[in-house]
Amino acid sequence: MTTPTLLLETQGLSFRFGKRPILHDINLQVPTGSIYGFLGPNGAGKSTTMRLLLGLLRPAAGSVQLFGYDLAKHRVALLSRVGALIENPSLYDHLTGYENLEATRRLRGIPATRTAEVLELVGLSPDSARRPAKEYSLGMRQRLGLALALLPNPALLMLDEPTNGLDPNGIIEMRELLRRLQSQGTTILLSSHLIAEIEKVATHVGVIQQGKLVFQGSLPELQRLQTGRAHLVLETESADTCRNLLPQLLGEATITGLSTLRLPYHSREQVATLAEALVAAGQPIYGLHSEQPSLEDTFLHLTETNAAI
Amino acid sequence: MSATLPSAEFAVALPATPSPLQQLQRTLSGDMLKLRRTAALRLSLFSGALPVLLTFCIFYFKGQYIIKGGIDPWPKFVSMAWQTAGTLLLPLFVVLLTSLIVNVETKSGAWKHLFALPVGRGAVFVSKLLVLLGLNMLALLLFAGLLLGAGFLLGLVKPGLGFQNHQAPLETVLWMFGHTYVATLGLLAVQYIVSLYWRSFVVPVGVGMGAVVATIALLNWEHVDKIPYSAPLGTTMQMKMTKLGGLEVAHTLFKHEWYSLAWFAGALLLGYVLLQLRRAD
Repeated sequence: MTTPTLLLETQGLSFRFGKRPILHDINLQVPTGSIYGFLGPNGAGKSTTMRLLLGLLRPAAGSVQLFGYDLAKHRVALLSRVGALIENPSLYDHLTGYENLEATRRLRGIPATRTAEVLELVGLSPDSARRPAKEYSLGMRQRLGLALALLPNPALLMLDEPTNGLDPNGIIEMRELLRRLQSQGTTILLSSHLIAEIEKVATHVGVIQQGKLVFQGSLPELQRLQTGRAHLVLETESADTCRNLLPQLLGEATITGLSTLRLPYHSREQVATLAEALVAAGQPIYGLHSEQPSLEDTFLHLTETNAAI
Repeated sequence: MSATLPSAEFAVALPATPSPLQQLQRTLSGDMLKLRRTAALRLSLFSGALPVLLTFCIFYFKGQYIIKGGIDPWPKFVSMAWQTAGTLLLPLFVVLLTSLIVNVETKSGAWKHLFALPVGRGAVFVSKLLVLLGLNMLALLLFAGLLLGAGFLLGLVKPGLGFQNHQAPLETVLWMFGHTYVATLGLLAVQYIVSLYWRSFVVPVGVGMGAVVATIALLNWEHVDKIPYSAPLGTTMQMKMTKLGGLEVAHTLFKHEWYSLAWFAGALLLGYVLLQLRRAD
């Protein structure tokens, strides 16, 4: 095993729906104690992967190792340390919030005191817990779903798009809760199609596209990927003239408008030299700035080009 | 955020697997809680009471035309109520009950949640089956109990019918309860498997209603006793008046009840194997 140890690992995980391949050779590596952001556009296979990790689906090939044990062999035992919220929370509408927790608590064989604890954790008041779940707003349903997942005090918490339906305040509270859980030793696998959400809490990231894992690594590694992709944007009178006058400096530039040029950013000196040369050549500088691609662009770049890294 | 992580200290030992019996007990405990405020529970109470209520009303208002000249009213009363229950109500009740019980999970999209909990598929399968068997028994017990109670009540409010002057056929009612329960098991198992496999409310109810109607249409067919949906009616027909004006039923299982048991065992075994092939979520 590598350091840090892996709490969850898949080897060559593949899944087909009938003849249609859904997942291909997924090798997830979720380090112990991490918040692992599982990113991908809708329909890329995030939910299917999570269902495989819970043993809800049988893989066409490959295996899942949870806490170092084979999931296929020890499913029931391992699931007692896993809490999951997959897609919409599974709530019994005819029961109150409290009774919903109670049903799962009994199924897990957990002490009764835990129910109040998880209600507190997710910020559901005892008053709302006494109301039937059918009266719950989307945000409250999501909180109750999270409470259900937290019941076993899981070593691994799997959340599929957990901020669905939460208002901005709820999203911030959710983030704080995830950080707190992580500091207490819970490993969290978090799926989302929004990089901005993952970026704020994740320590590690896996990007899935069309059933293939196209990136996996720590968040800093993902951020480093984008520094190589910064650009310099020059606004002047005539882009064409500038490029003809300064073939050395602007050779690799592309003309993006009548008066705009875009070229790869290398260094601060590059900017100074370019400005000097432009002035010397008698060309006006209306604007000269470097553009850092957002993590979002990097993510889009990853998922569009499908480049394996 | 820093990528340095706590390592080995959070390693997780393999948790203990709860024993099959413990899994079943936990699942059953959860399933009982999920019954609260469901239509399944109300349906069981209603189905036990309705045939009694109908028969009571018939005897209350028109009893004098049915019971004449001081004969024992109990046999007629019990067999009329049992016919009302056995012909249509009981099979339809079992069809609706199984569909409702299974639909509790389907409606809530809870199968994926249930199967991600540390209980095996077997525990989930057996637990719901036990709930079904229990509610089915509850409805039948309620029916038998209310039936006797209604007879005693008629003795009080309509003394002219003579219920108070004759012994209630307690033993026959008890034997009929046993016979009828066995007779419902075959169709219960078939409906249970259909509900679990299709995970919809409409499919099992449609299949069940169609089967009940088809059975009634086929009543004269020599093999009708092999159809599980005909068994409750078959049992009702086995209750006979004695020459002395009493009511009796055999103390051994009838052929159609053996068929019902065979359907019960066969459907559950085959169904369980089929369900293993189905995706869990």
